[in-house]
Amino acid sequence: MSFSRRLQSDEFVVLAEMHTPKGVNISRLVTDARRIKDRVDAIVIPDMDNGIMRMSALAGGVLMHRQGIEAIIHVYCRDRNRMALQGDLLAAHVLGIENILVVHGEEMEVGDHHEARPVNDIDEIELIGAIRSLVEGKDMAGFELDGVPSFKTGCTIAPFADQKAMEEELALAKRKIDAGCRFVITPPVFDVDSSADFLKKAAALGVPVIPTVFLLKSVAVARYIATNEPSAKISDALISRIRKSADRENEGIRIAGETVAALKGIAQGVLIQTLGWEHRIPAILDVAGL
Amino acid sequence: MITAERKPLKEIMDYIQPFNRILLVGCNECVTVCSAGGRKEVGLLSSALQSAFLSAGKSIEIKEHTLERQCDPEYVEEIVGMMDGVDAVVSMACGCGVQEMARRYKNKPVFPAVNTKFMGASERQGVWAERCQGCGNCLLGITGGICPIARCSKQLMNGPCGGSTNGKCEISKEVDCAWQLIWDRLKMLGQEDRYLDIIPAKDWRTAGGGGPRKIVREDLAG
Repeated sequence: MSFSRRLQSDEFVVLAEMHTPKGVNISRLVTDARRIKDRVDAIVIPDMDNGIMRMSALAGGVLMHRQGIEAIIHVYCRDRNRMALQGDLLAAHVLGIENILVVHGEEMEVGDHHEARPVNDIDEIELIGAIRSLVEGKDMAGFELDGVPSFKTGCTIAPFADQKAMEEELALAKRKIDAGCRFVITPPVFDVDSSADFLKKAAALGVPVIPTVFLLKSVAVARYIATNEPSAKISDALISRIRKSADRENEGIRIAGETVAALKGIAQGVLIQTLGWEHRIPAILDVAGL
Repeated sequence: MITAERKPLKEIMDYIQPFNRILLVGCNECVTVCSAGGRKEVGLLSSALQSAFLSAGKSIEIKEHTLERQCDPEYVEEIVGMMDGVDAVVSMACGCGVQEMARRYKNKPVFPAVNTKFMGASERQGVWAERCQGCGNCLLGITGGICPIARCSKQLMNGPCGGSTNGKCEISKEVDCAWQLIWDRLKMLGQEDRYLDIIPAKDWRTAGGGGPRKIVREDLAG
């Protein structure tokens, strides 16, 4: 069953994130994807995430499609104007991509091409509206399309620092949903109990909510996120658990797998994010019993 | 100078429709020079608004004032005494002046009466043309004093595109091809060699690619 149909049927969806290469060596991406082909519903392909120049998500999505794996590709406004965005969306449909995740493009300053000129011709809300318009048969200039694409469009909620920021993020997500998004990906959840309030509020958005489960690869990473992203609610006990483990690498995998399992009864799905350890996704799914 | 054009009367009226006492503030700098928002234009707009509102059956009180510079807190402070008696402010300054008014008088709605257009120069009486986009890293020293960023439709850095015909840009016969101008000027100066220099991909951080820009002169800022 497709990702879209599973969402419509209220089935739990399992997504995994995989980055395209900085170059043309696709062997790792394809190998990692094939390894979980029958265990996930779709693979999410970021596009130049964090402003790092890489092979485009469109190509990554097409590679997934060729392997018989459903893809969800990131689309954002920093690097393309409305013409390029619409052209690539039409291309994505023709090449077999059915799912779009509209994301916020990080500032050029944080990436690896600091000198590049950001485009930002339209913003996220306008892009979501443009996708809806394409699906309804017209481009942004109002011209009718010769052949109409179809997409399941989702959006993201950014990490938030406090309760007020959380409310603002939820309000923004509501606007994106009103504009046409049909699922939402949340920031990482590390402890289901302490994120219960957020998840409950996110569920009220009225579309499937898919929390991110982020693999903690080390104590240092856990500490960094605990310090810099309060919304993650990483407890001292969790850090201590990794620190005291004889096998810290596998402890992180166990934590991620347990979080996935815990979310199964609460959310509509999960997005597993491993940032370079995509070869360990099967182990996370093993722990989760998926 | 920063150039501007007055907004349509209807748009300004829509902004101030809910209010009865308006302070209409002009600026004695750039918008005066380009005849968009100086003392004279403040008077003309005030009359036009009064007349249009009267025709629509609404009486409106408009105070007029023109500041020496609306982008300067020192001058904006001068009208603090006028604020108690007004419901809203309409600024005829460029976007910098409008924002300075809004920053200083936080409890008053401030509306723009002009559209800020570009940094330009006067070509002849009543005609202003874009000359600079404030990219923050001036290239004029190597492009014969003609800016390809502000004056080339495609912002090409290394010569013209195929749309340059008889010295004109493909977008309009009214628009000079910037690279034709650059070539002609370099030739006149005997600097044709410069034309062959490759200008590397521009660092757009100085143009705002890295976010809003600010200049801090430590010697002056204290």
